[in-house]
Amino acid sequence: MNINLKAALLGIAFSGLSSVAVAQRDYQSYEQLTARLQKLSSRYSKLVSLTTVGKTATGKEIWLLTMGRDNAANKPAIVVAAGVEGTQLATTELAVQMAEQMLQGAVLQDSVRDLLLSKTFYIFPNLNPDASEQYHEKLRWERFGNAQPIDDDRDGRMFEDPYEDLNKDGLITMMRVKNPTGPFRPADEDPRVMVKADVSKGEKGGYLLYTEGIDNDKDGKWNEDPEGGVMFNRNFTFDYPYFQQGAGEHPMSERETKAFADFMYEARNVYAVFVFGPANTLTEPLRYDKAAASKRIVSGLLEKDAAVNSQISKLYNRTIQPKNAPRVAPSPGDVLQWAYFHYGRFSYSTPGWWTPPIEASKDTTGGKKPQAPSEHDDVNFLRWAEANDMAGVFVNWKPIKHPDFPDQEVEIGGLAPYVKQTPPVRTLGPIATKHFQFFSAYAKWMPSLQIVNISSEKVAGGLTRITADVYNQGSLPTHSEIGDKSRWVQKVKVTLKLSDNQEVVSGNKIQLSNALAGGEKFQVSWLVSGKGYVSIIASSPTAGKQTKEVFLR
Amino acid sequence: MKKRILTIAFLSACLFSGLISETKAQTADQVFRAAGTPQAPKVTVSWNRYYDYDGLTEICAKLAKAHPNLVKMETIGDSYEGRRIWVLTISDFNTGDPDRKPAMYIDGNIHSNEIQGSEFALYTAWYLVENFHDNKFIQELLQQKTFYIIPTINPDARNHFMHQANSPHSPRSGMIPLDDDGDGLVDEDQPDDLNKDGHITFMRRKSPNGRYIQDPQNPLRLIPAKPDQPGQYELLGYEGLDNDGDGKVNEDPPGYYDPNRDWGWNWQPDYIQRGAYKYPFSIPENRAVKDFVLRHPNIAGAQSYHNNGGMILRGPGAEEDQNTYNRDDNQVYDLLGKYAEQIIPGYTYMVVYKDLYSAFGGELDWFHGARGIFTFSNELMSPYLQFDRKGTSSADREAEQYDFNQMLLFNDAFVEWTPFDHPTYGKVEIGGFKKNYPRAHPGFLLEEDAHRNMAFTVYQAFQLPQLVIQDVQTRKLPHGLTEVTATVANTRIIPTHSSQDLKYRIERPDYISLRDSTVVAGMVLENADLNLGKEQKLNPARLEIPNIPGMGYIKARWIVKANKPNLLVEVDSRKGGVVSRRFEPDSKNTP
Repeated sequence: MNINLKAALLGIAFSGLSSVAVAQRDYQSYEQLTARLQKLSSRYSKLVSLTTVGKTATGKEIWLLTMGRDNAANKPAIVVAAGVEGTQLATTELAVQMAEQMLQGAVLQDSVRDLLLSKTFYIFPNLNPDASEQYHEKLRWERFGNAQPIDDDRDGRMFEDPYEDLNKDGLITMMRVKNPTGPFRPADEDPRVMVKADVSKGEKGGYLLYTEGIDNDKDGKWNEDPEGGVMFNRNFTFDYPYFQQGAGEHPMSERETKAFADFMYEARNVYAVFVFGPANTLTEPLRYDKAAASKRIVSGLLEKDAAVNSQISKLYNRTIQPKNAPRVAPSPGDVLQWAYFHYGRFSYSTPGWWTPPIEASKDTTGGKKPQAPSEHDDVNFLRWAEANDMAGVFVNWKPIKHPDFPDQEVEIGGLAPYVKQTPPVRTLGPIATKHFQFFSAYAKWMPSLQIVNISSEKVAGGLTRITADVYNQGSLPTHSEIGDKSRWVQKVKVTLKLSDNQEVVSGNKIQLSNALAGGEKFQVSWLVSGKGYVSIIASSPTAGKQTKEVFLR
Repeated sequence: MKKRILTIAFLSACLFSGLISETKAQTADQVFRAAGTPQAPKVTVSWNRYYDYDGLTEICAKLAKAHPNLVKMETIGDSYEGRRIWVLTISDFNTGDPDRKPAMYIDGNIHSNEIQGSEFALYTAWYLVENFHDNKFIQELLQQKTFYIIPTINPDARNHFMHQANSPHSPRSGMIPLDDDGDGLVDEDQPDDLNKDGHITFMRRKSPNGRYIQDPQNPLRLIPAKPDQPGQYELLGYEGLDNDGDGKVNEDPPGYYDPNRDWGWNWQPDYIQRGAYKYPFSIPENRAVKDFVLRHPNIAGAQSYHNNGGMILRGPGAEEDQNTYNRDDNQVYDLLGKYAEQIIPGYTYMVVYKDLYSAFGGELDWFHGARGIFTFSNELMSPYLQFDRKGTSSADREAEQYDFNQMLLFNDAFVEWTPFDHPTYGKVEIGGFKKNYPRAHPGFLLEEDAHRNMAFTVYQAFQLPQLVIQDVQTRKLPHGLTEVTATVANTRIIPTHSSQDLKYRIERPDYISLRDSTVVAGMVLENADLNLGKEQKLNPARLEIPNIPGMGYIKARWIVKANKPNLLVEVDSRKGGVVSRRFEPDSKNTP
C-alpha cells in the first residue's frame, strides 16, 4: 500500500515536470557539452587541447580531449572512451568530470602535473552524439543508433514502424495488454514492475508487453523500425553480428566508428583503452580460457594478458571500492573487444555508474527487517530511486484505447526512458574522483624502459664489445601479449647509433624484442670498431624512450 | 616541354574527336570475316599486349565516345595515390534504365601483379559493344541486362608493377606505405634492381657448398642436387640489398597488405589472416567498390579476375564459412562452373577453401555472404595453355615453363644469368624469369583466353533472373467482385534472391502489383489449384514475394471490386529487374 501511494506521488511529481526532476538529471545536450569542452580547453590551454576526429551524419563533431598536450603523440597514452552506448549519458558526464578534476588538480598538485607531463590521456567524452541527443528531443525514447538511416528490419521500407507517444507525455514507455496467453505479470515486490512469469514455478502471466506505439505496418511487431541508425558499440570488427539490428551494413561502416579507429591506428602510443560502457571487466576480470585463446580465430585473452587483467581488476577494486557492480559480459561488435583482439592493446570496460545498493534501514521498530535485494533489477532501481528522492522515474500504468487491440484492456506506463542511466548528476562527482585516483595509480604502474648495466670492454684489434640490459622498470608489460602478434603494436626497439668512422662488426644495429613484463630485461651486445661515442637508444611508443652514450675504448 | 604538350594535344584529339588516325595495312574489302570476331570495330585495340593505367583509361574513353548508347564511363572514386577508378556501364540505353536491369559486375587486377584481369574485363566491354549491331544474341542480352566493368581496382600498384622494377609476384599489394617488420620504419628495405633491367629476378652464387646444380636439360634452370651429389650454386633470394642494416634483405617492400583480405565478410586481422589491413574496406579502392555495389542493388552476378593456374573459383574462402554456402546456391554455382569448365579448356571449377587455401576477408566472400551475389574468381592463365598436357606434377610444370620460354617465346621471358658484384654477398649472378612471365599470358595467348573467359561471364549474365509476366486469368465472383490471378516466371537459372540473401533478408522482397484501384485482397499462392495461399493484409495491391526461383514461377492473386479490372501487372525486383504488362480484360489472357 505504502509503495503504491509513494508511486502515485512520484507519478504526480513527474506529470507536473517539477523543476527538481529537471535539475537532478541535468544531462547536457551536444551544444551544452561542446560549450563546456571549449571552455575547459581554453581555460587550461597549456594542459589540454580539444580536437575532433570526425563528424556525424548530422554534422556533430566527435570530440577528443588530449590531456598532457605537449608532445602528446610521443608519450605513452591511455584512451578513455565514453558514450559508446547511446543511452549511457552518465558515462559522458563521468569522463568530463574526471577531465575537469584532473585539470584542476594539475594546477594545484605537482603529482598531477607530472602525470600529465609523462603520460597522455585521450578522452573521448561522447562517441555517439547523434544517439544521445534523443534525450533532449521533444519525444524522449531510448535511442541506440546514430543518424545514419537504416532499414532495421530489412524489408525495403525505412522507418515505417516508429514509436508513438499515445499518452502524450513526451516519453516512450511500455504498453501492457491483458491477455490470458501473455507471459508477463506484475512483480510481487512492486506490482508496477512487469516481470516474466516462471511457468516452471507455477507462476501465471496474463499480460503482453510492447513498446509504446502502433503497429504501423501491420506485421505483428510493434515499433521494429523506428528512426535511426547504427549502434557505435555494435559496429566493430571483432565478433561482428552480421545482419543484426543496429550492426550496420558491415563492420566499421559508420562515420563514428571509422573516425575513431582511424585515429587509433595512427596513435602508436596508445597503451591501454578504458571504455566507460555497458560491459564490466574491471570489478570482475575476464578469465584465461585456454581453448578460446588458442583457436585459429583467437577469442579469449592470452594467458599473460589475462593475468594483467586480474592485476588491474585488483587495483580497480582497491581504489573504487565498488558495491553491487553488475556482471555484464562483452558483446558482439563492441569497442572493448576490438581494442584488444584487433587493435592489440590492453582494454577494459566499466559502466562507471550503476544502481547502488540501498543502505539497510536502521529502523527496526515494530519488527521491521532490512529488505533483501530483489532478483529483479527494476525493483531494486525503483527502491533506490525512491530512497534518493528521484522524481519522474516511473510513469504509472494508465488505461488507453488502442486501435491495434480493440475491446482489450491496454495500459501505458513503466520506467521513464534513460532513468537507469541518468542518476542525479551530483552523485557522479565522487565516482569521477575515484576513477581519477584509479587512473593515477594505473599510470604509475605503466612500463618504463631503462638502459642499465652498460659495459664497454676493450677487445684486441681496436674493437669494443658493448653490452647492456634493456629493463622495464614499470609494474606492467611494455605492451600486451597479443600486441606481439599484431602489426599495429610496435615492438621494443634498441638501436645502436654510430658516426661515420665507426662500424658494427657483430650484432645488428636494430634489435627488436617482444613484450617485456614488469621488471623484465633483455640483453643486447655488439662488437664495434672505431673511436669516440656511440648511442644506445631503447624505445617503444607505449613504454617510453631512453638514450645512453657509450665511449669506445 | 613543348613536345610533351604536343603529345597531350594529340592524345586528346584521339580521345575526343573520334578520329582514330591509325594506319591500317588492309582496307575493309580485303578482310574476310573470322567467325565470332567483330567485323569492323569502331575502336581498334590490340589484344596481344598489356596497358598501363593511362592506356586503360584511353581505351575506356574511346569506347564511351564511339558508343554513346551502349557505354557510359564514370568514376567510382579515387585510389590512394589519387587516380580515378573507372567503371564502364554497358547496356542498351534505349531499352530502360541500366541501373534497374539485372546486372553482372566484373573487375580485375585487385592484386596488382595479376594484370591480365584488366585486359579480360576490357575485352568483354569491347567485344559486346563492337558486336552489338551484328549479333542478335548480344542485342537481346544488352536489352535485358547490364554489365558494370571496372578494368582495374588497383591502379596505383598496376602502374608500379609495369613501370618499376618488380618480379612476377610483386607488388600484389596496393601502394599505402606500411611497416612490415615492426621497426617503426615504412617500406625501408625494398627489392633493388641491381642490374637495372626493370625486373626483380634472383641472385645465385657459385659455391661448392651450395645445394643446387644446373639442370642438364635446361642450363637456365637450377634444380636441387641429389642427396649424395655435390652442389654448384647457392640461391640468395630476390635481387636486393640490406638497405637498413638490420641483417635482412628486402623485408619491407612497398605496401605490404593484401587488398583481397580487406573485405567485410568474416574479416580477420593480420595476425590471423596475413595481409589484412586495418579493418574491412580500410583500403580506399575497395571502399569505393563496396560503395558502388551498395548503390547498385541490381548486381546479381560478379566476376573478379585473378591469376593464375586456370581455376574457376567460388567461395567459401574460409573453412569457417562452410555454412554460408548452402545447397540451393551451390547448385547454381555448379551449373555455371561446369559450363565454364567446358568452354575454357584447362580450367577447373574449384572451391577456394578446400582446393586452394583457406583465407578470410576475400572479395568473393563479401559479394556472396554480405550481398547474396553469385560470384566467381577466375585464376587466369593455365599451364594447360602452354603445352597440351594435363595432370602433370607441379615440378614438371615448373620445368615446362623453361621449355615453353625456349620453344615458343625464344627466350624472351628470361633474364639470362649475368655476374654482379654484390656489396654483401660478393660475386653473384642475377637472372630469372621477367615480371611478365609466367603469371601473365604471353601475348599470343591473351586474346584467346580473354575471349573464353568473357564468354563465361556473358553466360552468367544471360542466366541472371529474367522475369516474364506469363498470363493473367480472371474469374467472376459474386457481389461484383473479380478474382485476378497472374503468373510470373523466372526463365533463367539464377533466382532473384540467393538462399543466403533469403536467410538474412539482404535485399527487399520482389513486388508484384496490380494497378487497379479497387483491390480488396491479395495473396501469394502456394498452390493455385487448391487455392492455398498467404494473404497480405497491408497494401494488398502490391504483393511482396520473398523470391522468384530460377526456372520457377510465382502465382499472385487479387480480389478486386470491379467487373472490368485494370489488368496492368507490374513486377519490380531489385536483382530481377522491372517488367510490366497490360492484359485485355475480355480476351483469354493466355499467350
